Amino acid sequence: MKLMLNMTINNEKISVEIEPDSRLLDVLRDDLGLLGTKEGCGVGECGACTVIIDGKTANSCVTLAASMEGCDIKTIEYLSKNGKLHPMQKSFIDNSALQCGFCTPGFVLSGVNLLERNPNPTEEEIKEGISGNICRCTGYEQIVKAVEDVRDEKYIKDGACDE
Amino acid sequence: MNRIIGSRTPIDDALAKATGETTYTADIKLANMCFGKLILSTIAFGKVKSINYSEALKIKGVIDVLTYKDFPSTKYNSALRFKGHGILKTETVLSEDVRFVGDRIGIVIAESLEIAEKALKLIEVEYEEFKPIIDEEAAASSNVQLHEGLDNKVGTISTGSDADKVTELINKADFVFEDKIKIPMVNHVSIETFSVIGDYKSKKVTVYASTQNTFAVRVLISDVYNLPLNKIKVIQPTLGGSFGGKLEVVTELVAVGAAMKVNRPVKIVLSRKESMIASRTRNGATIKVKSGVNKDGTILATDFRILTNTGGYVGSGMNVIGAMSHKLLKAYKYPLRYTGSPVVTNTPIAGAMRGYGSPQAFLGMNIHVNKIAMALGIDPIELNMKNIVDKNEVDILSFGNPELKECVIKGKEMFDWDQKKKDTTEYNKQNNGYIRGIGFGIGAHGAGVYPAHQDCINLLLRLNEDGTFNYWSASHDMGNGSLTAQKIIISEVLTTDVIDIESTEVNTETCPWNLGDYASRGVFVEGEGAYKLAEAMKSLILETAVLKFKVNKEALSIKDKKVWLDDTELGSFGDIAMYAQTTLQKELSVLIDHHSIAGRTSYGAHFAEVEVDKSTGDVKVIDYVAVHDAGTVINRHGIEGQLEGGIQMGIGYALSEKMTFDEKGNLLENNLKKYRIYKANEMPRVRVDFIENGDNGGPFGAKSISECATVPSAQTIINAVANAIGEQTTIIPINKEEVLNIINK
Repeated sequence: MKLMLNMTINNEKISVEIEPDSRLLDVLRDDLGLLGTKEGCGVGECGACTVIIDGKTANSCVTLAASMEGCDIKTIEYLSKNGKLHPMQKSFIDNSALQCGFCTPGFVLSGVNLLERNPNPTEEEIKEGISGNICRCTGYEQIVKAVEDVRDEKYIKDGACDE
Repeated sequence: MNRIIGSRTPIDDALAKATGETTYTADIKLANMCFGKLILSTIAFGKVKSINYSEALKIKGVIDVLTYKDFPSTKYNSALRFKGHGILKTETVLSEDVRFVGDRIGIVIAESLEIAEKALKLIEVEYEEFKPIIDEEAAASSNVQLHEGLDNKVGTISTGSDADKVTELINKADFVFEDKIKIPMVNHVSIETFSVIGDYKSKKVTVYASTQNTFAVRVLISDVYNLPLNKIKVIQPTLGGSFGGKLEVVTELVAVGAAMKVNRPVKIVLSRKESMIASRTRNGATIKVKSGVNKDGTILATDFRILTNTGGYVGSGMNVIGAMSHKLLKAYKYPLRYTGSPVVTNTPIAGAMRGYGSPQAFLGMNIHVNKIAMALGIDPIELNMKNIVDKNEVDILSFGNPELKECVIKGKEMFDWDQKKKDTTEYNKQNNGYIRGIGFGIGAHGAGVYPAHQDCINLLLRLNEDGTFNYWSASHDMGNGSLTAQKIIISEVLTTDVIDIESTEVNTETCPWNLGDYASRGVFVEGEGAYKLAEAMKSLILETAVLKFKVNKEALSIKDKKVWLDDTELGSFGDIAMYAQTTLQKELSVLIDHHSIAGRTSYGAHFAEVEVDKSTGDVKVIDYVAVHDAGTVINRHGIEGQLEGGIQMGIGYALSEKMTFDEKGNLLENNLKKYRIYKANEMPRVRVDFIENGDNGGPFGAKSISECATVPSAQTIINAVANAIGEQTTIIPINKEEVLNIINK
C-alpha cells in the first residue's frame, strides 16, 4: 500500500509514491536519482548518508521517508546546483580533504551545516561538529583544515548555492 | 629543481567526489537489472542438510532462489593473482560445507533489494552442525581437521638466521626475555561496502566490481565458468576505499553465475554486517617471541614465531606469512629467526589488509622490545637505536637505502621527546586523576611484490590534436592517489599539469595488463612505468618535431607543453599532434611495459603522548608525530593524507577495534555502533614529515607509503600507555579493566 509523499528537495517541490517503510536514503537514491547520498552502515553511525532536514544534519538511512511530509531537505547535489562550487567543496578539493570520496558528501554537508550554526568554531568545536561522520582514508586532519579555511573566509561564495 | 614533484596536488577526481557525482559500483543501474541478496550460513561449522525456499518463491517480485546446487563446484582460491598462480584451492562459489558464520550457501534474486530481503527471512536452512574452533592456537593443536586432507596449521615458512645460531646467541646473553602476544582480527571498514554487478549477454560476461584486482577477477571467472578471457570484461568504477579488503574475489563469481541463470544483470551490494563477516578481514595472530639481550640493551638474537588466524578458508594465508617473513629482517640488524604459519579456523576469511602481515609482526616485536627497554631501565628510543638497521650496513639493492634511524632522530626532535619525558613526569606528580605517558614505535613495509612473482604494468598514452592527453592505466586507485601520482610523474616529464591527462576507469578490455593494486606498488612500480611512458612520449614528440621543423633532435627541448629550439618556441604539443595526423597520417601514442627488478623497503617512526583516566582506564591520545622514509615525495597532499589515515587505523588497532566471536562463531562487533572506529573528536593533533634522501630506484627516487603508513602506529600507542601506567599491558586492543588493575596495584 503505497503513500504519496510531498516534500521539498534541493528547493524543488517533489511528490513521490513510496512504500510506508521506505528509508529516506532509498527514496533519494532509487526514486529521485540523487545518488550523491551514500549508504555506509545502515545504522546511522557513519554519516555517509548525511542530508540536511529542516536546517539540521540527519542520517537518512535511519530516517523514515514517510515522516518527511512537508519537510525541507538538502542533499549534496544542492550545493553545486547552479553550476558553481560551494566554498566548502572548493576547500575540500584544495586541501585534499578527500581520498576515496565515499564519505565526502556527508562531510561536506556536515561542514556546511556546522558553519551555519556556528560561524566561528574552534578546532575542537569543528572536530565535535564532524564527529557524526566517519572517514577511513584521511585521518580527518585535512578535513578539519578544509573547514577551518572556510571559517576563515579563504573562499568567496561566488554565487554558489548555500544552506 | 622539480616543477610539480613534491608539490601539493588534490586527487585527480576530487571535483566529482566533492559534488557527489562520482559513480561507485552501487550507483550503477543497468537495463533490466535485478538484485541479489546472499543466503549466508548462520552456523560456523557444518554441512547444509536442506534449504527450503518454497515460501520465498511465492513473494511477488522474487525472480529465483539459487543454491550451491545451481553453481559450479570448481574449487578455486579467491586470492589468485594471475593465470597459473599455484595456490591452494579450497573455495567454491557457493558451499554445501560451511566454514564460518557468513559462508555463502545461496542467493535470493528479486526485482528490488527490499523484496530480496523479505524473501530471505522466509528461507529455512537445516544444518548438520559440528563444533567450531574459533582460536588459531586451539585449531593448530586440535585433532579435528577443519578441511578434509588439510592440516589446520596449513604450512610453515621460516626465514632469517639459522635456528641453532639464534638459540646459541640467546643463551649467551645477559638476559632472556620472552613474550606471548595475541592480536585480534580487525576489519578494513571501507565506507563503501563490497559491491558488484554481474551481466551475461551474447556469451560475454561484464562485471562491475569494487575491486583492486580486475585482471585476477577475469582469470577466476574464466577458470570457474570455462570462458575465454576475451569474453570477460571486468570494470572497476571508482572504489570507495579498500585497504586490501577488495583485493580477493568476494562476490564477483556469485553475481556472474546468478546473471547466467536469470538472464538479467544482477547487482549484489553487501550490507555493513555482511561486509564484516562475508568479505575479508585482517588475520588475527598469536605471537611468541624470545630475545637474548645484554644489559646495555644490545639484542643478540630474536626467535620470532607467529600463528595467524586465516579464517574459514586458506585464501592468502600462506602469502601473508611469506610476505611477513622478511619484513622484520629489513628493520632489525642483528640475527633474527622468523617462523610463521597460517591456521584455518571457523571465523570469517582473513585476507589482505593494509600492511599484509607487517602490522602484526611489528606490533608484536615493538611491544616485546619496549618491555625489554622498561625492564632494563633504558630509554626505548636509545635501545631501539642500538638494534635497528643502519643506512650503510645493509645491502642497498634489496633494502633501498634505509633511513629508519633518520626517521627516529627527526621524529624525536619534532615530538620533543626529551622535554615531554620531563613534562609527563611533572604532570603525573600532580595526582589529578590522570596520568600521561609517551611511547615510540617503528615499522617497515615493501614496495611491489618482487621477487615473489611477476610485477609488471603496461601503460598507454595518446596525444590529442589539442595537446591534451588520454591515459590508460589499470591502476586501481582506491583513494590512495596512485593514479594521481602517475599523472604527476608524467607531468613532470612532459611539462603538463595533471588536468591535461585524462584517464578512464579500470577496464580489462581497454586498459593494458596490470597486476592488481597491492603491495604498495602504485608509485614504485606503476609510477616508474608512468615515468618510462612519459619519456617515450617525449621522445616521440621530439622526433615528430624534427620532421616538422627540420632541426636536430639534440637542439630541442620541451617546456610549457611546447617544443623549443633554445629560447625559440617552435610549436605546441597540439601543433605536433596535428602535423602527425595531417602529414604523417598517424596518431602519436606510446605503449610501454615496465616491471620491477628490485623491491625497496619504506620505514616509519611514530611517537605518541597519551593521557590515561585513573578512574575509568580510558585512554586519550593527545599528541602524535610520525616521520617516514618513503624516498622522494611525489605528492605532498597525497602522502600526508595516506600517513594520517594510516595513523587513524593504527590508533583504532591499539585502542578500540576488534572482531571477537562467541563460542558459536557469531561476530559480536557486527555493526559500526559496536565496532569502534575513531572519529574526528577522538583524534589527537597529528604532525607528519618525511625523510627524502637518496636514489631508491623508484620514479624520481620514490618508494612507498600506503601500507607502511599504518605499520608503526598501534604499538606506539600501546607503548605510550605502558609508559604512563608503568607496566606493559597484555591485551590488544587496550582493555580498561587491565589498565585499572595495573594502576591500582
